[in-house]
Amino acid sequence: MITGVGVVCALGGDVPALAAGLVDGRCAIGPLTLFPYRGRCRSAAQVPEAVPAAVAALPLATTRRLSRPDRFALAAAAEACGAAGLDAGLRRRAALAVGATTGGMFETEEVYRRRRAGEERRFRLSRLLGTPLSTTAAAVSQALGFYGPQVTLSTACSSSALAVALAADSIRRGEARVALALGTDGLCRLTYAGFDALQALDLDRCRPFDRHRRGLSLGEGAAALVLEDAEHARARGARAHAALLGHGTATDAHHPTAPHPEGRGALAALRAALAAAGLPPEAIDYVNAHGTGTPQNDAMEVGVLRAVFGSRLARVPLSSTKSQVGHCLGAAGAIEAAVTVVALDEGIVPPTVGLREPDPAWADLDLVRTPGRRVPLGAALTSSYGFGGHNVTLVLGRAEGR
Amino acid sequence: MDRDSLRREVKDLLATGLRLQIAPGDIPDDAPIFGETLGLDSIDALELVVLVEDRFHVSIPDEEVGRRAFGSVDALVDFILAERPG
Repeated sequence: MITGVGVVCALGGDVPALAAGLVDGRCAIGPLTLFPYRGRCRSAAQVPEAVPAAVAALPLATTRRLSRPDRFALAAAAEACGAAGLDAGLRRRAALAVGATTGGMFETEEVYRRRRAGEERRFRLSRLLGTPLSTTAAAVSQALGFYGPQVTLSTACSSSALAVALAADSIRRGEARVALALGTDGLCRLTYAGFDALQALDLDRCRPFDRHRRGLSLGEGAAALVLEDAEHARARGARAHAALLGHGTATDAHHPTAPHPEGRGALAALRAALAAAGLPPEAIDYVNAHGTGTPQNDAMEVGVLRAVFGSRLARVPLSSTKSQVGHCLGAAGAIEAAVTVVALDEGIVPPTVGLREPDPAWADLDLVRTPGRRVPLGAALTSSYGFGGHNVTLVLGRAEGR
Repeated sequence: MDRDSLRREVKDLLATGLRLQIAPGDIPDDAPIFGETLGLDSIDALELVVLVEDRFHVSIPDEEVGRRAFGSVDALVDFILAERPG
């Protein structure tokens, strides 16, 4: 069961703001202002800086040194725990799985910038404390009192989809009755300039599944999901927002950045997730796609979906959250899982914003455009494909009794 | 530089250099720098040594000197006035 969700992204700093953005079909991709940049691209889905209340729970010295992704993560984690009604005792025993790719890279870059600009003569230890990926789990544990088993994962853009999967596994193995899955990443020069150099960025706003799609738009944020043993959730009267029915993971072993052209790993992950959920493809009412907006990804992804769904794919609504909040890299899997939970919980299908002319090869598909739809959903899947061929698919279902 | 402007400069350095959520003017003259008031920890201590050494061209070579220098803002001002070259 998923009994709590929290989110921070360019659409807003909590789940109600996210849900409103999904319903309104708002695109939060705008000008990049976090750092000066002189490359080709200038746009990003940036999170307006705000200090979340959860930060106040930490000692002052710790608070001052938190990286942006750690602050995003704390806000999302605190919202999810609050929504799930996890008291201190439940948090104390809960497991924690975090997915991220660049940690405090932006703050680390700032240390180098200050040094090069002559603003500081020596490297400052305190400004590098947020560099490791492991600081997120440490900050969340310290602020919210998580004393259970923890893991930090990094599988590129599927990192936090994998965190959701492994959090569920920790419950299934009996390590914990409650587990928090968390994904977080912040914009930084490394990834921004890197994707720009790969010519993988759309210079305007990404247009997944459009015939004129040119690439992705980068975003940032965090999302947290409270996963809980169903019996445990029922016994304490927690409201389930959705259920994680199954997950699948597989690897391409093909190329450092390109997906396998036939989507070998993606296909295996999707099939494994459906098998784990015990569902035929016919049971899926909505596909929350990886949908980056690069020509290669979207073509590979539709190919994989066709292989599994066959001609029935024409009747499955399909959309990409990245058209609204950009590609949040290590946070993308968790954010898109959160979006899928909201879709199931509220009975909405969010649109692919900015999709004007669907690729003619996919004229038969149900590519959902603005303004999206209101329709009850029984089950949905969300996929995340990371550089290096790290593929994860999650199958989620509407909570019983909803 | 006179004592008052040096004291102001020290407080500015504390507030901005350590990114304190307190205005420089609210930092007390006579309370221990590493006491309860500012919520500083051992990493701040390392940082402050670097910041003070670089800004005021003094040397804080060991813990004993550090304890004396960081006794309070006034103590740090005294230390800088006594130790800095020229």
